[in-house]
Amino acid sequence: MTSKISTGEHMIAARPSTARTGPSILDRSAKIQVVIGIAILVVATVVPSALGLSYWIGVINLATIYIVASVFMGLLLVDAGQVSFGHGAVFGAAAYAVGVACGMHGFSFPVGILFGVAAALVIGILFALPALRVQWFYLGFVTLSAAMVFPQMLFAFDSLTNGLNGISIPFTALNTPTAIGLSILSILSLVLGSLAILTSAIFPKTKLGRRMRVAAASPEAAQSLGISPGRMRFTAFMIASFGTGLAGVLYPPTVGFVSPNAFHLDISILFFFAVIVGGKGQPLGTIAGITLLYMLPNVFLAQLVEYRPLVYGLVAFLVMLLMPSGIIGGIVRWLTLRQKPQAMPALQFSQIVDATQSAKHPVGDIAIEIEGLRKVFGNVVAINNVSMNVRRGEIHGLVGANGSGKTSLLNVLNGFTNSDAGSVKVNGKEITSLKARDVAHLGVGRTFQTPRILEQLGAWDNVQIGLDAKLSPNPTRVSPAFVDSLRDTLGRLRTESIPHGQRRLLEVIRVILTDADILLLDEPAAGLSPEERVAFAGLLRDLRDKLGLTIVFVEHDLDLVARVADRVTVLESGAVIASGDVASVWENPRVKPLFVTVRHA
Amino acid sequence: MWQEYAIILIRGIGLGSVYALIAMSFNIVKVSSGILNFAQGNMFVLGGMLAYAAVALFGQPSFIVWLLLIPVAAIIIAVVLLIQGYLTLLPLSYSDDQQSWLITTMAVSIIIGAVLLLVQGPNALMVRSIFPNVPLFGMRVPAPFLLAIGLAVFWYVVLQWFLSKTLTGLAISALWQDPVAGRAAGLKVRRLQLLAFGLSGLIIGSTGFVAAPIITIASDSAVAYVLNGFVALVIGGVASNTGALIAGPLVGVAAMLATFKIGGEFQGLVSMLILVGILLIRPEGIFGSTAARRV
Repeated sequence: MTSKISTGEHMIAARPSTARTGPSILDRSAKIQVVIGIAILVVATVVPSALGLSYWIGVINLATIYIVASVFMGLLLVDAGQVSFGHGAVFGAAAYAVGVACGMHGFSFPVGILFGVAAALVIGILFALPALRVQWFYLGFVTLSAAMVFPQMLFAFDSLTNGLNGISIPFTALNTPTAIGLSILSILSLVLGSLAILTSAIFPKTKLGRRMRVAAASPEAAQSLGISPGRMRFTAFMIASFGTGLAGVLYPPTVGFVSPNAFHLDISILFFFAVIVGGKGQPLGTIAGITLLYMLPNVFLAQLVEYRPLVYGLVAFLVMLLMPSGIIGGIVRWLTLRQKPQAMPALQFSQIVDATQSAKHPVGDIAIEIEGLRKVFGNVVAINNVSMNVRRGEIHGLVGANGSGKTSLLNVLNGFTNSDAGSVKVNGKEITSLKARDVAHLGVGRTFQTPRILEQLGAWDNVQIGLDAKLSPNPTRVSPAFVDSLRDTLGRLRTESIPHGQRRLLEVIRVILTDADILLLDEPAAGLSPEERVAFAGLLRDLRDKLGLTIVFVEHDLDLVARVADRVTVLESGAVIASGDVASVWENPRVKPLFVTVRHA
Repeated sequence: MWQEYAIILIRGIGLGSVYALIAMSFNIVKVSSGILNFAQGNMFVLGGMLAYAAVALFGQPSFIVWLLLIPVAAIIIAVVLLIQGYLTLLPLSYSDDQQSWLITTMAVSIIIGAVLLLVQGPNALMVRSIFPNVPLFGMRVPAPFLLAIGLAVFWYVVLQWFLSKTLTGLAISALWQDPVAGRAAGLKVRRLQLLAFGLSGLIIGSTGFVAAPIITIASDSAVAYVLNGFVALVIGGVASNTGALIAGPLVGVAAMLATFKIGGEFQGLVSMLILVGILLIRPEGIFGSTAARRV
């Protein structure tokens, strides 16, 4: 809080070197795919118009619209982790709104577009509400049943929708070729299609895209970075519905009419399949998916009308059997497998903190004040009347056997669990009723026992989400030279190839980058070699001495605790049995027997 | 007036028992492998088609023949499901992506639907029950409604016994708790998962065969059954057969009430509202258990 207020004079200071954004950060594969994708769309749109093949003009326009809808369905699925089997209802609502507005009430097409997008957003909100509560295939079934009900409702309210007969709207003006040979409709589809392909490549590299992926992959990590997973989901549904709505409004002018039969469950499944069969997260994926699943059975095999659904099902089945990561995903994988995997060089701890910078900190001697804290899970008392405090700028070790309540205590300190009794003050503010993301905004950062280095994000993105969560516009406290070299190193790595010990450190670096004053570290040194532990102890001291951070860490390595901790608290069965400076706690008669075996193990 | 409700109740419970059986056949596969088989509705319809085929081949069967044909139909569908299970599990063993089943089971559902459409066209098949209607509350209830209730109880008892008293059943239950530990303990995971697919085939095949006279046997009717089975599954709580046995009839009665009172076109809407309502109020279902925080 306080660091937010005291930042005015830093605003003009050198921009953080990490502010580099924009399409230049797209990796090579995504860039190539975007270029190829847009080229395909341009050629497919221009050639039939140039040759005057009116059948093909319509087919390509429709396929492009489907690609747009699939791209936004993919954004929902891949970036936000939301399974929707009912995206066709969003699409259909937009198309029907245009049909009703323009075909039955005589509004112009631009007005129809407004109605269409609004209708899509309404369905999007209806989908987003259950998504706040349920996830994964539960959400899939809710949306699936909505997609089944949608055409039934079009029938049931036939006075509004013209029922089974549908609505016929010619839209001749939109379909007439302009001076450059393309009709307005073709131009609209091409532009929308190209923008959609571009969006699918760029969105994951934006701050919002990264935050959405964090929220989807690990809601805990998201909350500890101050992100609300619910808000991310809602935003994702709104973006996806907006994009799909734009595609939907082009449906009536392309096809010439709307009828309930066009918006059965099949179209929702088509969008879903197109994303997966093409390859999740690949910009070319939806083009490949729609080509295989829509163009192949409906256009190239048009003579074999009755075999269409069979071909469609078989293609989807065989692709998933042979290439589980989809067509484009499989190709990209095959190409990257041939490259030598890069090993990650060890991080140099001594370079992380830049001594030349100083940061302002909340004043007051006590960073965390815990009074009579209690937490019960069923019959288990996880935290039993704990009172302790952590002084500002100290390194405080939390030790105790497994199950003694160390992680439970951290979970209360960063707002993951609500305590049953007692009070916790962070920087003087009571946090017991706050949510984790609000505690994060107070300047509390944490790492996890199982590091949340998420494979859904790129290696560098995993660190950058810390910068995204920065609490103030101050230049980062981590040495910019270190951040630059880390970006270069991680930029060339795949997330899977980061070794376990390094993952913990990356998580620590991520938290430091958020500007948190108080770090809660859950077994940060587990998996480090003895030499790395010595270096890590140095890092903790640097964080304390040069940056003035307050650090609470859970650790089983008592030598490390003895080496860096200013004070130690020992927990047993959820209760504090000793707290104070290291030497006195170690000599405490109640503590000694607990560690005798551990120290010689 | 009360008779009308009595009939709605009995027919609803009968139809709901079918949903309960679909939910149980979902459960056994879900427990062993985490897979929710979308094609289960088509397998159910195939079971119904076998009843039609039996009549077409042998004429209206006698009671004894009918009774003998139930296991035959069950085994045929079990074989189909074994093949499907084998193919579905195949990519899971060599790919990092563990969600391919979402697509493959949906694709199988589409393929079966497409084949049915090719073979017998868009019309529904009618199967006449070999039993006369049963007089109840002064009305005549088609016997398959009552038979479905009996079948649901039968499979419930068999499944409870199998999963809690036999070694194989316990091993399958263990996979639900912790598949990695199960593998480490030397369980032949793939074989158990295949067995579960086969078992779900026995359940769904016999259900389709017995309930054939009261269900819609058509190329496009499967999704509605999958959906209602899923609603029963969610209300009862995933992996709970007791929950399925109770929730199925609840869904069935609600669907019947909706059909009688506000019209068949709103039946889908009612199912959806029940699903959304339950998920919003109690996402883990009536008999499900909550998961702990993963920190």
